[in-house]
Amino acid sequence: MKTIKRIMRYLKNNIWLAFLSMLLALVSAVSALFIPVIIGNAIDTIGLLDDPDFIVTGSVFPIQSIIISLGFAAALVFTSALCQQMMSIINNKVTYRVVGNIREEMFAKLQKMPLSYLDTHPTGEIVSKMINDAEQLADGLLLGFSNFFTGVVTILGTIVLMLLLNWKVALLVICLTPLSFLVAKFISKHTYDMFKIQNETKAEQTGYIDEMIGNEKVVKSFGREEEAIKEFDEINKRLRECSLKAVFYSSLTNPSTRFVNACVYAAVALSGGLLAINGALSVGMLTTMLCYANQYTKPFNEITGVITELQNALSCGARIFEFLDEKTETDSKVLDNSVENTERDMEEHVVISNVSFSYTPEKPLIENFDLDVKPGQSVAIVGPTGCGKTTFINLLMRFYEINEGKIEIGGEDIRDMKRHDLRRRFGMVLQDTWIKNGTVLENILIGKADATREEAVNAAKAVHAHGFIKRLSNGYDTVLSDNGGDLSAGQKQLICIARVMLMQPDMLILDEATSNIDTRTEILISRAFDELMKDRTSFVVAHRLSTIVNADVILVMKDGHIIEKGKHEELLKKGGFYRDLYMSQYSAV
Amino acid sequence: MKRLLVYLKGYKKECILAPLFKMLEASFELFVPLVVADLIDNGIARMDKGIIVRSFVLLVILGFIGLVASLTAQFFAAKAAVNFATDLRHSLFSHLMKLGFPEIDRLGTSTMITRMTSDVNQLQNGVNMVLRLFLRSPFVVFGAMIMAFTIDVKSALIFLAVIVTLSFVVFGLMIVDIRLASKVQQDLERVLSATRENLNGVRVIRAFCKEKEEYNRFSEDNGILTAALNHASNMTAMLNPLTYVMINGAIIALIYTGALHVSKGIISQGQVVALYNYMSQILVELIKLANLIVLIIKSVASGNRVSAVFDINPSMKDAQIDIADKETQGESENGKYSVEYRNVSLTYPTAGDASLENISFKVEKGRTVGIIGGTGCGKTSLVHLLCRFYEVSNGEVLINGTDVREYTTDSLRKKVGIVMQKAVLFKGTLRDNLRWADKNATDEEMNEALMNAQAYDMMQEKGGLDAVIEQGGRNFSGGQKQRLSIARTLIGKPEILILDDSSSALDYLTDLNLRKAISRLEYDPTVFIVSGRCASIMSADMIIVLDDGKVAGIGRHDELLETCDVYKEIYASQYKGVSV
Repeated sequence: MKTIKRIMRYLKNNIWLAFLSMLLALVSAVSALFIPVIIGNAIDTIGLLDDPDFIVTGSVFPIQSIIISLGFAAALVFTSALCQQMMSIINNKVTYRVVGNIREEMFAKLQKMPLSYLDTHPTGEIVSKMINDAEQLADGLLLGFSNFFTGVVTILGTIVLMLLLNWKVALLVICLTPLSFLVAKFISKHTYDMFKIQNETKAEQTGYIDEMIGNEKVVKSFGREEEAIKEFDEINKRLRECSLKAVFYSSLTNPSTRFVNACVYAAVALSGGLLAINGALSVGMLTTMLCYANQYTKPFNEITGVITELQNALSCGARIFEFLDEKTETDSKVLDNSVENTERDMEEHVVISNVSFSYTPEKPLIENFDLDVKPGQSVAIVGPTGCGKTTFINLLMRFYEINEGKIEIGGEDIRDMKRHDLRRRFGMVLQDTWIKNGTVLENILIGKADATREEAVNAAKAVHAHGFIKRLSNGYDTVLSDNGGDLSAGQKQLICIARVMLMQPDMLILDEATSNIDTRTEILISRAFDELMKDRTSFVVAHRLSTIVNADVILVMKDGHIIEKGKHEELLKKGGFYRDLYMSQYSAV
Repeated sequence: MKRLLVYLKGYKKECILAPLFKMLEASFELFVPLVVADLIDNGIARMDKGIIVRSFVLLVILGFIGLVASLTAQFFAAKAAVNFATDLRHSLFSHLMKLGFPEIDRLGTSTMITRMTSDVNQLQNGVNMVLRLFLRSPFVVFGAMIMAFTIDVKSALIFLAVIVTLSFVVFGLMIVDIRLASKVQQDLERVLSATRENLNGVRVIRAFCKEKEEYNRFSEDNGILTAALNHASNMTAMLNPLTYVMINGAIIALIYTGALHVSKGIISQGQVVALYNYMSQILVELIKLANLIVLIIKSVASGNRVSAVFDINPSMKDAQIDIADKETQGESENGKYSVEYRNVSLTYPTAGDASLENISFKVEKGRTVGIIGGTGCGKTSLVHLLCRFYEVSNGEVLINGTDVREYTTDSLRKKVGIVMQKAVLFKGTLRDNLRWADKNATDEEMNEALMNAQAYDMMQEKGGLDAVIEQGGRNFSGGQKQRLSIARTLIGKPEILILDDSSSALDYLTDLNLRKAISRLEYDPTVFIVSGRCASIMSADMIIVLDDGKVAGIGRHDELLETCDVYKEIYASQYKGVSV
């Protein structure tokens, strides 16, 4: 119910169009309803012509009256069709506008979603909400608009008209038709389980295919093909059994309801025929009744179809709204009076005091973290996987909010800054490269949108990416798709570094930035980085210890704590965990 | 497409019976208007209650026979379609499993998966509906027309005209719709990839404060999609009013000519009603037919896509004789060298340049070989040739003095164990996963392999061998997956063990312990370690330095430091302190 209200709110701006659509539906349905009556009348007139005695007396008059009523019928047909088409155009417009807006709203929401949400919800799930659920919602709304109202009008109209024509036959139709729904319901109730099993088996098979075909190279490296086929066949066989049942039993619905309808039709013919003999019903009206009897069930079927579709659409809508209602990242209060703090201490003095953080309350990760980074210092963070290195970066960029403590930059709590102001001061390169669909140039310009082409090329040169970019089919204008597609991991990384090079940020974050680049290229890049890091506060997370020996401070992290801290030589001398880590790369077997 | 029909061969009986019974059902439906005409002309006109009751009984019987015929048809159709799909899926899966690495690269994983799933489902649905409707709908349409001819030729000409124009309108609209739908699909895919891209790059986008730009770009794409959807829907919506106008126009024309003919005494009132009823039957069937044709077009497209996969044949031929048997009988003459590359070159089918050029080296049994070089220099290609994942373009790769092409795939897989770069685990228990290389491995053997792979302690917390692994191993971290996939390969006790950058996610200490354990393996395999880290290969008996597909140097660590510039640079880059 809440979902319906919510959808209605979207319709508010289009309220007049919606009314117009309903009016058109009404006109269309009513005019269509009268056509069988007119045709029935015409047939009755024909009946007069059929009467041998009548021909002699006046054959001109009935033909004319037939022409008049047929002309009237033609006008109705035309009106009905026109209204229907106009109604469709309006409905399409309203529906797609609403769904387009919803989708846009979702995307805007996505830009503000906290990373804690995005990191815990698979990409596929969110994409499916934005694409499939929105599509389903559109389909449901459209069908609801077009068919629901028309269907109801048609049913009511048919009942009224039948009752007016002959109430006895009408009652017969009204009482008998529910039979076909009972039959349909009976069948669908019994096929539901079969469909459920079929869908589960199908999902199981798809999962298996995903695994085996998706990792076929591994399967082949173990020579597991035969086993894979055997296991696949086992699922496939089960799928055959349950599919056959589901497909067959579900296909019973149509013939069965058709049979029930045929019986209703026969009953109308019988009762109508008997009444006609008594003169209580004309032949034309019998034809009209038969026509109505035939059409009567159609809108019912449509409405039931619409209802399932609507239910589906509503559950999709609910999922969409749930997404739209998620909490977004809140910006600081400062934002409200939006005073740009230009007087901010530009010294990049980063002070982290007593910070604690965990992704889930049960598993504390970073505890009582203290760090004081003087402007221009470079900080290197090392430690085994899962020690909290990347988490530290997440907190610094305010991708996640700290649970306790305080991070200050230039004397200001980062929670009191606008997110954009905070992030603009950092240049970040991550281990996972991200290349957007677009040209190489566009990708570099992400760093600084208003930079010239020349500046971008210079940035690429500085990080030694110019060489390979030049060799691409269209140089800087080569379109990269599919997250960089043909580029090697290293090349992609170089483009990402070029972005930061172009940006010339106040501070730097390098999270395993060079891990995908071979060490020789890294040397070349490192000179560029040296240049970039000069006089800049920088945070470097690295696996390769060789890349961090020159750092001003090395933090050795383990289980969320800083266990050692100092310069390379000091730490080596100290002979602790760092020394072990460092020596391990020298020791041979 | 044609080749897929083979899979219907086993169900010939069903394929003939299903449409036949459908036709039967349709022909009984065609009798209905005649019965009603009889009821009007003979029953009502002559006030004969007997005829009316008889008509009623006839109508019910016709309906019942129709029901039985239709149910029979549905059964056969379902049986043929489901079995067709099952057999097809089996063949397709087996075919895909037979493909070699070059073919897998060419097809791509996502293509293979869609062929297996949605395309086959589409085909099943297509076969089912074709068997059910392909004869029925035209039969009703033309049957109604023929019946009309038997009643009154001139009125029947109206039928002919209507059927022809309706067909043009309906199929014309369908063609337009299909074209518009494919445009919508394209636009939809753009919106989809924009969304996915945004999600994948969320950190970068936020770090660079690009949210606004991304939103604008999406907005534009979304606007295009909305417009396309609206346009396509408007076109589709025309079908109903158009056909409605035409059929009702035809009915008006029928009644008019009927009136004229009745007044001349050519036909009766009941016959006019029969013609009217026939006209109403046509519309429903014609629309069904049009939908069927759309379905057929889609299914044929799916069928062609599936056929195209069948047309791709594995490029490598398996050896006929099992050399491995011979080996066990007598030591082969070149037994001294476990592995030998003679002048090997490799050019991938799709690539222009060679990935490997003139590689030659020999490795004695039980030795450890390190392979190092920059990204994209051909390290992985080099070891993949040893597994014969790809065929050499030139030269020979020998194992125990015999060309790898002469081994059967099975014996080669047993001899050479590889841990691939991308660590993958499969749904099931750890035990299931570890038994991939040896079905009969005991728990002791598995635990030993886990210990050697430095994964034993870590797995103890997770339930040891009974630990549950989710699909794709997503409940394990990258480093954990790497260690487990190493253990999985170790279980097979291969003669030649290849570690393709399989410790990249491990810290140096764990990596060192792993290498120590491997060097102590009692079955003493020849080991190939591919790595970008000097530390991982420094102690190898032989180091091959690759640079852009060519050998830049071969030798021991200290030799290479003196002779090989590339190696010197790599070493220096990792060990001389450089910031960043």
